[in-house]
Amino acid sequence: MTGCRKPEKYGHYSTLKEVANVGEAIVITSGKGGVGKTTTAANLGTALALQGKKVCLVDTDIGLRNLDLVLGLDNRIIYDLVDVVEGRCKIHQALVKDKRVDDKLYLLPAAQTTDKNAVTPEQMKELINELKREFEYVLIDCPAGIEQGYRNAIAGADSAIVVTTPEISAVRDADRVIGLLEKEEINPPKLIINRVRKDLINQGDAMNINEITTHLSIDLLGIIVDNEDVIASSNKGEPIVMDPNNKASLGYRNIARRILGESVPLMTLEEEHKGVFKKLMSIFSR
Amino acid sequence: MKNQLVHMKGTKDGLVLRLDDQCAYQDLVEELERKVSEGGIDGRVNVSLDLGYRYLLEQQKQELINIIEHPGKMVVSKVLSNVITVDENNAKMQGNLCDTYVGIVRSGQVIQAPGDIIVIGDVNPNGKIEAGGNIFVMGKLKGIAHAGIGGDREAIVAASWFEPTHVYIADVIEVMSNEKPIVKEHAEQLFAYINKEGNISYDRLQEARKIRPLLNTKGGS
Repeated sequence: MTGCRKPEKYGHYSTLKEVANVGEAIVITSGKGGVGKTTTAANLGTALALQGKKVCLVDTDIGLRNLDLVLGLDNRIIYDLVDVVEGRCKIHQALVKDKRVDDKLYLLPAAQTTDKNAVTPEQMKELINELKREFEYVLIDCPAGIEQGYRNAIAGADSAIVVTTPEISAVRDADRVIGLLEKEEINPPKLIINRVRKDLINQGDAMNINEITTHLSIDLLGIIVDNEDVIASSNKGEPIVMDPNNKASLGYRNIARRILGESVPLMTLEEEHKGVFKKLMSIFSR
Repeated sequence: MKNQLVHMKGTKDGLVLRLDDQCAYQDLVEELERKVSEGGIDGRVNVSLDLGYRYLLEQQKQELINIIEHPGKMVVSKVLSNVITVDENNAKMQGNLCDTYVGIVRSGQVIQAPGDIIVIGDVNPNGKIEAGGNIFVMGKLKGIAHAGIGGDREAIVAASWFEPTHVYIADVIEVMSNEKPIVKEHAEQLFAYINKEGNISYDRLQEARKIRPLLNTKGGS
């Protein structure tokens, strides 16, 4: 008995090490459509790549792909996710490199000619596991809804980010999705509140941040202020996070740093009025 | 002489028929038939049937009752038994059980309990609690609560923060609107119950001891 224990122990050790070396797969989901999942995925992916991490964005919105457009990579697609899953090409043939962030950011685009039923959760899991071996972060852009597309998207994920806006319908759907995510064997989901408008909150016309976080009672990863430049940059195919002076960009950069484990204080909405001196003070008082 | 298998004993509550619980069932039936036909009783009397530690099927119980009541002199008012099956016991225990759910009942989730349930956390809008007994929410109740789902009209729904969209107790449904003054002004520590008119009412949690005194299972000192 004692004779066979030693190799068993070694075997265990080596698997542990293997696990520690692979990247993290994060699914970005929301339940409701149009709250900014794709924009968030594009910007967080770019922000993580700007921080020097090797990132792969996976668009699982098969049939309604958008992530390639937001990243401005649509005309470079040759193969897609379904081609990979069905063995028509190798993974690296389908990956589209974003040349703006040197060798750090890749996109695995969704297929446009078929639908969500073209892949199964098992196939997705296998695909994501393979990507995790090569990339430090695999961001999975989930389609709206809680059907097949959602199930495919979360199949390979290790953790989840739920995106919502300060609207009651988006928060309600986020609640539903969080409930579903909590049943999965993944890390507890984290929250991003998108399109926060200070004026509406102050008027009492939109839910405030505190209300949303206590209602959903999950960790807040960050807030993104509403900014029209985000739409303009999406249309140009250039993620807003490339612009270092934009307020929304700062929000995404902060979130990326939090994902990397830094503790970055939450951007307060009042910060807009802070003077230079106060800003300096807040830097020193961290 | 054989041991008596059927003992007849008079008590202040009426006649008790104690049946031997060790002999064969067939012997018992025969002796009971003999004993009953002997008579010696005037008029109709209520009897209690004490089965001791014998387990009888429902059908066998009915057979014995028929034998006793056949001459038309005795009426079985009560059947006593010291034993129940494991299944019966489990069902009984489930009904008396108080489940605890720690977490948030989110939109689309349904939490079911055979007896009472304590929710440590919130019940969010479109989240649902269904309980055979009472529902106690330690957090905010903002979803749907159905107490006494098996028909227990004595059941209550209590919450630290009482702001549900719907309250069901047994077969009574209440759609919560903002018109309910007590709920609107004072959502803290309320409970819902079925009042004497058969409608759902609300009151402060402190009033529960007057309105539902039977909820209390623990004496104070």
